[in-house]
Formats: sequence, structure tokens, C-alpha cells
Amino acid sequence: MSVRRGADPGLDEIRKGREEAGPVPRKGVGPVAWFDIRRRGLGHFAFSLNRITGLGLVFYLYLHLAVLSTLLRGEDAWDSFLGVATSKFFLLLDVLLIFGLLAHGLNGLRLALVGSGRAVDQQKALYRSIQVIGTILLLGAALRLMGSE
Amino acid sequence: MSAPAGTTRRFRIFRFKRGDDGHRYDEFDVPVHERTTVLEALRWVQLRKDPTLALRHSCFHASCGTCGVRVNGREGLGCVTALADVSGDTVTVEPIANLPVLNDLVADMAPFVDRFPAPHPNVRESEFLPQADTPDDVEGYGRFEDCIECGLCLSACPVAATDDTYVGPAALAYAQRMLEEARGTDREAILDWADSEAGAWRCHASFECTEACPSNVRPAQRIMALRKELGSRKKVSS
Amino acid sequence: MVRSGASSSHVLIVGGGGTGGALAHDLALRGVKVTLVERGEFTSGTTGRHHGLLHSGARYAVNDQESAIECIEENRILRTIAPGSFEENDGLFVAITDEDMAYLPAFLEGCAATGIPAQQLTPEEALRLEPNLNPALQAAVRVPDATMDAMRMPLRFFATAKANGAELFNYVDVAGLVVQQGTVTGAAVRDLVTGREARVDADIVVNATGPWSEQVARMAGVDVPIRPSPGVMLAVRGRLCNMVINRLHRSGDGDIIVPQRALSVVGTSSWSVEDPDDLDVPADHVRRMVEEGSLLIPAVREAAFRAAWSAARPLIGSKDEAADTGRELSRTFKTIDHAVDDGVEGFVTITGGKGTTLRGMAETCADVICGKLGIEEACRTRETILLPHNAAFATGAVA
Repeated sequence: MSVRRGADPGLDEIRKGREEAGPVPRKGVGPVAWFDIRRRGLGHFAFSLNRITGLGLVFYLYLHLAVLSTLLRGEDAWDSFLGVATSKFFLLLDVLLIFGLLAHGLNGLRLALVGSGRAVDQQKALYRSIQVIGTILLLGAALRLMGSE
Repeated sequence: MSAPAGTTRRFRIFRFKRGDDGHRYDEFDVPVHERTTVLEALRWVQLRKDPTLALRHSCFHASCGTCGVRVNGREGLGCVTALADVSGDTVTVEPIANLPVLNDLVADMAPFVDRFPAPHPNVRESEFLPQADTPDDVEGYGRFEDCIECGLCLSACPVAATDDTYVGPAALAYAQRMLEEARGTDREAILDWADSEAGAWRCHASFECTEACPSNVRPAQRIMALRKELGSRKKVSS
Repeated sequence: MVRSGASSSHVLIVGGGGTGGALAHDLALRGVKVTLVERGEFTSGTTGRHHGLLHSGARYAVNDQESAIECIEENRILRTIAPGSFEENDGLFVAITDEDMAYLPAFLEGCAATGIPAQQLTPEEALRLEPNLNPALQAAVRVPDATMDAMRMPLRFFATAKANGAELFNYVDVAGLVVQQGTVTGAAVRDLVTGREARVDADIVVNATGPWSEQVARMAGVDVPIRPSPGVMLAVRGRLCNMVINRLHRSGDGDIIVPQRALSVVGTSSWSVEDPDDLDVPADHVRRMVEEGSLLIPAVREAAFRAAWSAARPLIGSKDEAADTGRELSRTFKTIDHAVDDGVEGFVTITGGKGTTLRGMAETCADVICGKLGIEEACRTRETILLPHNAAFATGAVA
């Protein structure tokens, strides 16, 4: 029987082929997964909405601080801002803000209950309730906001 | 949408070989009947059209967990996903997400397996047929744990999509099962393992893992149960 | 890491089913340099598809006592070397008809003759153990069957072989064998992962491809008497039994129900084919599984469908033999040294057998191979505890 000595070129070809082929891509990675709700369940919708509203609220916070800083520039600057702030369009944005607060805040309550293991089996029912309560509250707020002025 | 005999379905299959610049999609028209599964269709392509198509499968009955794929964006086991249940003109098949792609539809399961804590018993008490007696020399009937290590949960998890360090739903569910039924494992060690930023606290409750699981493991529920235990452990020790 | 260090001979195993994996493990323990190539995922051929029965051998106790003895011996060994990989709930052979009852004495005799522990139970006792059984059963015999995960248990052999230095490649296809002057000196392979082709040299090439044995043997210009014999299996939802439930009769269709996690697998049937890749799942066979299965456990009839599939057994028997269904052929295994049988050196086929006998098959084949290579190392697989299955993937057996 012949005895092989040293490296086997055939196997090396296979091994090196796999190593040299470079890094292997991960499929489907990325924040796209946060927002893709196609064919996903209610829990994922809640998660996605939480991310969007979270980002939105952070953006609003900075905006709010920027707006408030106009106070530093004196009464005239503030008054001109108030002129914009009471326009219909701006009030619509306020409704959007309230939507964000309700969606994020109420879901946050749900997450506290679910995430601590207290109300896990009710997670879908809880979210449906939030959707109902939130809608009612939002409608109420919208009517007040848009109704006035 | 059920396909009567003698029809075909258009398949769009993810193709990638190591060393390629990127991936592509190959299209095939595959003959199907009412009961054809995604895996059967893929094997038809492999047998008749393209023997270089790499597939992963073994048991054909949702017990080995190797044939996981994404069909039209949704995770599933190819062997039990009936094409009759897949809507749309085209069936797009891709490898499961959040793991490296070895080639074509085959994911590299090494990073999946590496996330698990040290191996623990795979056999649990069988909760089926509780009214049954056991033979004298058998203490209780055993059965394998539900988890078939298919990786569908990791694929569906939006946190795993952006964080490779997250241990993931399968590993956490596995750990929680050890707490539920100890079998001589070290409770404190399991809890310590789970009690980390990359462990039980990284989950953001999208519940997609439970939706995707083909084997009734309910990983999301188990993660929350794990958190409950971790929470009460903190109270006791402080 | 177990190495005896002496040998620089290289064995190339073609076929990554249970047999190939167990052989890689055995040879690695003997210090032989081993490479295994499998064109798909490990166990993706016949091994992964069976219902997961760890045979007590009782099914063969009357008609195929050689197989029966092999089974019960391997049954005991596997429980020792792969602890935690079995649901050790035992099995029942259930007599329903008078014809079944007529078979009972021969069955008990056969079990006694082959050393298979068998305990006869009254119908009441059987129903207490398995409440879902057909209440009209006439008798039952308890035997040491068990359930395995058909993929994960064999994977432990791969994991251990890899840890001991064997090189295991999945997704590498053998396009042909290299034959020089009547000697097989290697294989022409193609790596499906990269598309690259290569020639792998080896002192001995082992054909461990199960029902594909004949196709591979032809690459070396020899013939092996392997008849691919598929059978249908049906998985229904619900764990209808904890023990393995068998019909007490000579082999027939649908005479076994094996629990697999929260499913119940009913098997099987039998027919012959030429090409093990192109398997039908005949609807009438699936219906037969329901019919025969419900005779054992009536709840099978109403249980929800989960999957139906076919798997090809590698049955040993010449083409000229009359058996059309494949059931009459023996379920024993065989190592064929083609130097002896066909004058082709450097080529060995290991074939036949059952999932349960993978380790035993590997032992006899490794003995033949080491004999040919002049390696004097005893088999250590009876005592070596196997690594957990995760280790097959954990550090990348997939290179």
C-alpha cells in the first residue's frame, strides 16, 4: 500500500477554496428588519411602531428645545413663533405628536407588564386594548385641538 | 390558493457561492400539485434543472430543523410548508436571515449553535398522556425537548437583525427550560448566563420568534418567564 | 484528542450518512487520517429520514435472527456511548387479530433465542401503559425499543470524529473516482460551496452512500448488489404514544408508530426503484399508513396531517432475486472489499444495515480497512462516549 506523505493538494484546494472565498455575507441584516411589517404579527407591529414613534419623539424633543430657545432671543422672536404655532397645519402636527405619545406611552405600559413576565399571555389582547383606548383619546384630543381656533 | 394537478409555479431562488461578488436570483417554473411542499419543489429544481443548487434537509417531517428557509419573506420549514398555503404569483425562497450564508439556501449554523449555553439534557419529562402508567422499572416517560434548533426564531427576530451579540430566542428558551425542569443543571449558572445585556434583557418583545417557531417552543413567552425569575432573584439578593 | 500517531495512510469516505459518520469516528480513534465528503447536509440521505426507532431487534427475531442479534447488541451499546440521545420508553408489540395471536409464540421464542428481553402483557396492562391503544388488542409484548432523533444521534459520531482530527466536508460532491491500473487512487470532487473542482488522493476510498452505493460503485467499474427500496412515512400531529408501538406480525405496511416530540410517525411501506433521488410519495401508501396505523392507535385516523415523505433503504440482494417489494431481503449489513470480490484495489463498500447498527457497521468496515492498510489498532467505539451533537457545527465542521 502506498503511503501518502505531506499535504494533500486536492484537499488543500477545497480547504483553501473555502477560506479564500472571503467573508460570508449575512442575509437580511439591518434596521430594515425593524420596519418591515409585511407578513409579521401584532407584536412586531407594536415593536415597529414603538421604534418609529421613539425616533419621532426624540426628534420632537430636539425640535422643542430649539423652539424654546427662541425665548432667549426676546419677546418678538417668541411672538412670531406663536403665530406659526397656532396655524392649522401646526396643530395637525400636534395631533401627530399626541399620536406618537399615546402609541409609545401606552405600549410602554404594555411592555412593562409583558417584559417583566406578568402579563405575557395577554400581550395581543393588551395591544388591541391600547389601540382602542389610544384611538379614543387621540380623537378626543384632535377634536379639542382642531375644534378650537 | 391551491394548485390543481398539472400546473406550475414560478420560483425565484436565492443563489450565492462563496467567492461570488454578490447574490442573484434564479427563476424556475416548477410543476406542482395540491400537496407539493416548498422543499419538494426545491429538490425538483436540484434534480432536474440545476444540480449545483445547494439545499439543506434531513428528516422531511419538521423534526430535524435543517430545512429552514424564508418563503416570500416569511420563515418556515420547507418540508412542511405547502405551496397551496403560499400566496402570490412568484415564490421567492431565501436562506434564513441573521446568519452567514454558506452557499445558496444553506445558512452557516455555527454562529447559531455557538450562542447556546453549555449542553444540557435534551430529554424532558413527557407531558403527554398523563393518565398513563409507566412500567415498574421506568420512572416516567421521557421525550425530546421541543426545540429542533432550526434557527427560524433567530431569523425572525428584529433585534438579531442588528445585533450579532444577542444570544437569541432559541438559546434563551433552552435556558428557561432548564429552570423549568432542572435535571441536575446548575440554576444559578443558567441565571447568571441569561442575566446580561446580550441575554434576556436584549429582547424587545416583538414576539416574532414565537410566531415563526414550527415546534411550539414559544420562545418569547419563555424569555419573559426568564426575566420574571431574574427580576425576583435581584429582589432576594439586594 | 486521541491519536496513535503511527499511520499516514489516508482514507476517503464517500457518503455522510450515519454509516460514514460512524466510520470516520472509528478510524479517527485508530489514528487513521480520514476525510469524509457528503454532497448535501450530513444525514440528508436515508439516515435523517427514518422514524427514529432504536431497534430492539424484535421485529427480526423470527425471520432474520442475524439482524435481530446485531440490533439488540447495538441497542445496548448506543445507549452507553450516546447517553441522553434516546427516549428510553421501551416499545410494545401489539396483537390485534387472531392471526397476530398465532404469531405470538414464535415471536416470544425468537426473542428468547436472540437474547431480546420480552415481557408479555395482558390487554389491561398494555392499555394502562398506553391508553390510546386499540382497546380490542388481544395481547402485547414489551421490548427494549427506544426513540432517537434520526439526525442528531448520528451527528454525535460526526462531532466526535471531527474533534479527533477527521476532516468532514458537507456540500462536496464526488463526480467520479480515479482508477489507475485497477486501483482506485482517489476521487474527483466538486465543492458546491465555491464551485471549485479538485482531485483528492486516498489510499482507500470507502463507498458509504447507502442506496446510492451502486451509482458510486459504477464509478470504479464494479457492481454492488444494492436495491434502493423506498418506503413511505406519515407524521401526524399529537404525541399519541410514549412507547414505540409495533404490530405483532411478520413485517407489513404501516406496522409501527414512533413518537417524535409532539408528532407521531407511522411507517412504513416498501417498493423498489432504480434511482434513489427520484422518490414518489404514493397517495395510496399514505392512506395505507392511516389504515394500518389506526388499527394500532385509532386516534391516528383523526389526527391532523403534518408531513408525508419517502426514504430509500439500501437493501442487499442481487437483482435476479424474485423479491419485488424488498421486504424479503435481509436487513443485515456487509463490507465488500472490491480487491477480493472484483480485483479492484483501494475500494471498499459498506452497505445494507439499519440506523440502529451504524456503529457496528463501522467497526467491521474499519477492521477490513485497517487490515488492508496494515494498521494494528483495535476498535474503541464500544466504550468511547460521544460528544454532544452541537459540536459537529459549533466550531465549523462546515469549513
